[in-house]
Amino acid sequence: MGARARLLLLLPSTTYRAAAFVEAARRLDVDLTVASDQDSAFSAREPERLATFDFAHRDTAAEEAAAFAAAHPVAAVVGVDDDTAILAAAMAERLGLPHNPVAATLAARNKLEQRRALAAAGVPVPAFAVHALDEGPLAVARAAPYPCVVKPLCLSASRGVIRADGPEAFVAAHGVLAEILGSPDAARRGEDSRRYLVESFVPGPEFALEGLLEAGRLRVLALFDKPDPLDGPTFEETIYLTPSRLDRTAQRALEACAARAAAAVGLVSGPVHVELRFNDAGPWLIELGARPIGGRCSAVLRFGEGAAAISLEELLLRHALGLPVPAVERETAAAGVMMIPVPGAGVLRAVRGVEAARAVPGVEDVAITAHPGQRLVPLPRGDRYPGFIFARGGEPAGVEAALRRAHACLRFDLAPQGD
Amino acid sequence: MDREIRIKAEPVDGSRCRFVVSEPLLEGARRFASPDEAAGSPLAVELFAVAGVREVLVSGATVTVTKDGPAPWQAVGKEIGAAIRRALAAGGPTVAAAPPASSASDESLYARVADLFEAEINPAVARHGGFVELVDVQDAVVMLRMGGGCQGCGMADVTLRQGIETALRQRVPEVAGIVDITDHAAGANPYVTASKK
Repeated sequence: MGARARLLLLLPSTTYRAAAFVEAARRLDVDLTVASDQDSAFSAREPERLATFDFAHRDTAAEEAAAFAAAHPVAAVVGVDDDTAILAAAMAERLGLPHNPVAATLAARNKLEQRRALAAAGVPVPAFAVHALDEGPLAVARAAPYPCVVKPLCLSASRGVIRADGPEAFVAAHGVLAEILGSPDAARRGEDSRRYLVESFVPGPEFALEGLLEAGRLRVLALFDKPDPLDGPTFEETIYLTPSRLDRTAQRALEACAARAAAAVGLVSGPVHVELRFNDAGPWLIELGARPIGGRCSAVLRFGEGAAAISLEELLLRHALGLPVPAVERETAAAGVMMIPVPGAGVLRAVRGVEAARAVPGVEDVAITAHPGQRLVPLPRGDRYPGFIFARGGEPAGVEAALRRAHACLRFDLAPQGD
Repeated sequence: MDREIRIKAEPVDGSRCRFVVSEPLLEGARRFASPDEAAGSPLAVELFAVAGVREVLVSGATVTVTKDGPAPWQAVGKEIGAAIRRALAAGGPTVAAAPPASSASDESLYARVADLFEAEINPAVARHGGFVELVDVQDAVVMLRMGGGCQGCGMADVTLRQGIETALRQRVPEVAGIVDITDHAAGANPYVTASKK
């Protein structure tokens, strides 16, 4: 018998996904090492299981991983978000393991590089231009196409993404974006925090595609409808519903667009999360990430039926470790998740109505992830959801209705900022 | 007049879920490893009647249920909630006190685990402003509660599985399992908080 495989799992200390990935690794009975950007309370005691790498410096982190692997051979390196996807690629390259090209993960992470690669490959993307933050906004505003969207190069989850319908709105959006990009967490991204994109606004409904790349071939794991219009001025994600109610021909067009986009960027292996729009001109690629779906949303996905069903995290770990993947077909039930919108700016005191929300037929869980005392910050500045609602049922329409009814039950008790 | 019983479900993983009840259920803790042990405890009887329930742990106002099968907690949880409400509605004690000592070996294990918590676990988590309370040991299963910076921390599961569980398995290998009965949603000062992506 050979030694048990060791999985090096890269978990940023602020991830929502620790529990889901750790549980998936336990189910696979692999030796698990969690590497993070901050020391665990047990790092010194359990160096084989808990590593701390310099996530801010890719080359350093890759060397740290190599030093670790010299003592504890690693079979696979898995990242869980945009940033750790880059680190995972660099570490896997250093260790001689199968991986995405580092350049591809970097291109996926950087919205400008991504758009350049997509446009060069003929993938339909919004018209875009890049500007320095310190360019005079009035001049840029005069030349911008309207409606347009200002967008940071390096942030996630719609943070700093603002629609402007005219020069006055553009200048206001620029001011907000400059403030966000001046914050310490954004500024640490260097040059990318001093530039931004101006894109044409693409009308039409938006969709999210969850996929797995196997030797460059895209397998579609789920296509989500986003039934709430995302027309700005900010772009708050709320409901994801699957299966999609879009007609099959249009779905195939979205899938083909996502596959072309992944190839254009150079991704070949592992998860992709793709956001697309669809209108009379066909599919439009809005964002591509070399990562799985964010937040706690993956809990809505199950693959296979009955006792054989596995989570998205288990599917991804199996793929990374070269283990058999029993099913990549999503279950037959309709499923949905609502990322609970930030109810306003303030300090969370309490959330009421959670039990009533859970009691709504079709609702499976209401998870409040914000803690009492946490400051809630709406878009475009915020970067945290207060929680998630999950529902499942026979048809997407019923699932959507259940999510909305449950959300209507919730009451957030906020203290004013600075209270 | 019917009283309102509020129950908050907090899935731990695919097989375990905590249910925090708005009313106290038991002073102390008791673990039920099978339906045979449920006699005299209406709450445990009701819970074992739910398909798939394999183990029940009652501690204060928290019920931790372990189940078999792939059904999501979101679905099973409603049956569990109804079972808890039925047991409370019946009046009288819902859980009989634990037998005087589960076993001599549990007492011995408790002492050894407590020593480990005192000497190594708590000094370690204290660096992150946390603490871990040993609630009980029953049938070699350790029940613990996290507090301070560990309560609600985004990395609590990593601390539990990669740190605490590993230490327990190395130092007290007779431990058969660990159940975290922490109400993580109530954690007001977690060491790290998750962000959107």
